[in-house]
Amino acid sequence: MLPDRRSRSFLDSGVLARLGSLPLFARRPMQGNVSGRHPSPHRGASVEFAEYRKYVPGDDLRRLDWRAYGRTDRFYVKEFEADTNLRCCLVLDTSGSMDFGSSGVSKLEYARRLAGALSYLAIEQGDAVGLTCVAEGIVRSIPPRRNPVHLMHVFDALESARGSGPTQLSAVLHELAETIRQRALIVILSDLFLPPEELRDCFEHLRFRKHDLAVFHLLDPLEVEFRFSRPMRFLDMEGGPAIFAEPSEIADRYHRALAEYLEAMKKAVQEKAVDYHRVRTDEDHEQVLTRFLVGRTRARGVR
Amino acid sequence: MMFLQPWMLLALPLVALPVIIHLINQRRYQTMPWAAMMFLLAAARMARGYARIRQWLILAFRTAVIAALVVAVSRPLASGWLGLAGGQRPDTTLILLDRSPSMQQREFGSERSKLTAATDQLVQTLTTLGSNRWAVVDSARQEPLAIESIASLGDLTAATEAGNSADLPAMLESARDFIRDNRSGRTDIWIASDLRANDWKPDSSRWQTLRDDFQSFPQSVRFHLLAFPQTASGNVAIQVTEARRVETAEGAELWLSLVLTRDGAADSRLTSPVAIEIESARSVVQVEWVGPKTELKDHRIPLPRDHRRGWGVVSIPADANLADNRYYFVFGEPTPRHTVIVAEHAGVADLLQVAATVAPDAQTQATAEVVSLAQLPAVEWESVSLLLWQGRLPSVESPSQAEAAEQIERFIERGGQAIFFPSPEAAMGSFLGVSWGEWTDEAGEEKVATWRGDQDLLVNTASGAALPVGQIELRQRMSLEGEFTPLATLGGGEPLVGRVVSGTGAAYFFGTTPAGEHSSLAADGVVFYVMVQRALAAGAAALGNTHQWDAGRTIRRPVEPSRDRGEDTAESEWVEGQAASTDTWRKLAGESSALSSEYLYQPGVYADGERLLAVNRPAEEDEPSTVAPERLAELFRDLDFTRVDTEIGRGGGLVQEVWRPVVMAMIVAMMFEAGLSMPRRGRDGVPAP
Repeated sequence: MLPDRRSRSFLDSGVLARLGSLPLFARRPMQGNVSGRHPSPHRGASVEFAEYRKYVPGDDLRRLDWRAYGRTDRFYVKEFEADTNLRCCLVLDTSGSMDFGSSGVSKLEYARRLAGALSYLAIEQGDAVGLTCVAEGIVRSIPPRRNPVHLMHVFDALESARGSGPTQLSAVLHELAETIRQRALIVILSDLFLPPEELRDCFEHLRFRKHDLAVFHLLDPLEVEFRFSRPMRFLDMEGGPAIFAEPSEIADRYHRALAEYLEAMKKAVQEKAVDYHRVRTDEDHEQVLTRFLVGRTRARGVR
Repeated sequence: MMFLQPWMLLALPLVALPVIIHLINQRRYQTMPWAAMMFLLAAARMARGYARIRQWLILAFRTAVIAALVVAVSRPLASGWLGLAGGQRPDTTLILLDRSPSMQQREFGSERSKLTAATDQLVQTLTTLGSNRWAVVDSARQEPLAIESIASLGDLTAATEAGNSADLPAMLESARDFIRDNRSGRTDIWIASDLRANDWKPDSSRWQTLRDDFQSFPQSVRFHLLAFPQTASGNVAIQVTEARRVETAEGAELWLSLVLTRDGAADSRLTSPVAIEIESARSVVQVEWVGPKTELKDHRIPLPRDHRRGWGVVSIPADANLADNRYYFVFGEPTPRHTVIVAEHAGVADLLQVAATVAPDAQTQATAEVVSLAQLPAVEWESVSLLLWQGRLPSVESPSQAEAAEQIERFIERGGQAIFFPSPEAAMGSFLGVSWGEWTDEAGEEKVATWRGDQDLLVNTASGAALPVGQIELRQRMSLEGEFTPLATLGGGEPLVGRVVSGTGAAYFFGTTPAGEHSSLAADGVVFYVMVQRALAAGAAALGNTHQWDAGRTIRRPVEPSRDRGEDTAESEWVEGQAASTDTWRKLAGESSALSSEYLYQPGVYADGERLLAVNRPAEEDEPSTVAPERLAELFRDLDFTRVDTEIGRGGGLVQEVWRPVVMAMIVAMMFEAGLSMPRRGRDGVPAP
């Protein structure tokens, strides 16, 4: 499958092999350009009966259901569901904050692993995969393609991604909503350090464009727990001003702010039906992906 | 608040330790790149209300804990007595204990007297304060007694009641000498007293000397007065003024005169049962009286004819002060009153002889002999009660009169009385520091303006009436020079009669003679006669072998040829004249617990060979007047002096160590600090998504 056989730090062949048995499903009908395993909003030539439709002049006579005509003395055309492929657009946050990692793995590295595995799985099942790296703007964009060689481009882009600069994720998401053709699977991998209201607007925009939206919200354990024993001078990884704080003094308020943020985020993703996964970077990424894939299998979209 | 170890307070800046640790901790910060800045910013923006208060409270409690620790280590004392223990522990602590009878006043329903309360409070207070050396000066012996520890103060004889009045200036002089002799360092002097004016003698000139001496000490000397100024309202005191045996047709009688005095409200009628006990025979007299004082004059008690001398005690029921409820007396046959008259002027000699030989009553034998200067060495002074002298004063400096002068001085020392009248000539030498000036003619017949009606020769009569001293007409008089106590003064302040005390006797100096050309003393003979008879009686009393003796009364050492004695300096030279001789005393009545070494100060009846002595508190002890606070402050002017008024019933010491409550407060502060510092679990975790 991998044409160059080059080892990638973010790819674990064992994990990929195990995840290979799990299909990546879209929760909503996709508009692919070839036949695939995802539902399409159009009628097509699959084996799955869709409906009878009255014959109108111009219809292919070969599709007339003669048996129905025999029974009812009317002309009906028999229609079947169409299966198509999906376009999976991975949006990778490469802002400075993604470079943070207290448990040995930075959020960016973790995101690479997820994105790499998802790309592989999608290509393997014949879906198209694209990648957009976002920091202050779109750092790099690879349009969705289906062929395995394209996968190498995606891997290369992932490998070369470096976390730096501030995040302009919301602007980029609005832009992507407009530029990506309708009905794609958009997977966002980011720490989402943005106001939930802003993100909510982005999600709404993407939903409006009938995209299937999945979010991997990456959080470092230290960011969640905020356990420090000494006074700290916190340097903003995205270039903002440094903050001096007595952690024991500020911890409770930090936790309160975090809890409020997460609550608002939860509300936003529930309202906008986003496939939201909060991920701590000390979790096993295989389990995270398994959970993601299984969840999508259950929620496989109807036509 | 005062501290026993105030230098430990130097550690108080340690209260800044939490702040310093906080600042050091802040300097030990770590720098860390951080992604989730938005939460930090949000946290910083959040209202800090309670969190900020909490931080301040934690800081405050930590500071309080250290402050409390330092304070506790400094051993704080609780007392309203500021300056009590400020500074370091004294090197020497001197305790001046007033043991006078007035200090035995009790509170209603209390067994403790002022003296025991003072002792207890001193023990407790000084145990707390501590000292390197202790010494006690009690009002009886007036000598410093070094003690090992303050705890033993209550067991000392020097802390038990005594019958004599205190002499605070003398006690302070003793303390001053102790400090000077021992070269003690920082000294605290604690005075426990009830501030009776007769104990403090606030008018004495010795106070000025004492102030100067204490101020001149290089080391710090601090005075603490533990005052018990409360008087006992309704306390009754009894005193025997006279006890004499009188022969009657039926046998003999004891004529007893006694005085009852009471403090406070005196307008109510009071019935006092006075028990009179003569050796083993007891009788009770009910005395009804109104006012502050009453006298029972010549109460007659029959005696067996052969009961020629003896002793007794009068007592009244127990009241606030037990020490003034008993009074001992002795009686005996009256001593023959013999007068020696030396006169240059024959007329005056006759007048003196008449005044001396006419006895006031039939029982008294009064004799007089007129002798010349040359006959003086042959006089048997042992049987003489009074010397009446008119003429040139005997001078020890004059070779011819030296022997006579010394004899007369010894006579006065042992209790004899002498009255000196001037010579018609001028320049007549001096005796006992007194001399006469020049004769002056009193054209306007100047009269006596003021005289001492409260004591001595010119005291008012038993009925309270004043002697007609003001009626004496002076035609010629001489001015008196030297140091003496004036008994009568003229309108211009010139003394007419002066007294000099020497030993147990006294010498009186007149500025005129009884001769008609000099005054009307003889013509208006009442005053003259009374004075001579009173002097004669006093002299006779010293001769007898029964004596009323004021507790602690001292006699002078054998006289030294010093001419410049004044009253105050004379007082300062008093010594415990009879202290050694009390070894021969045998107690007949009195407190059973009294030690033989204390007989001089313990009321009772003692036999010393043939002599009978009734030792009692001095009459002044029944005078309740106290030294006013302003006067007291004046006495200790420019000295480091603190006064605290305390009470008998007051428990515990004047100061108490309060480190325990401070430690408790510290523990409470630590618990609060721990409670505030404890991380709150509810907020530590992040809510589940």
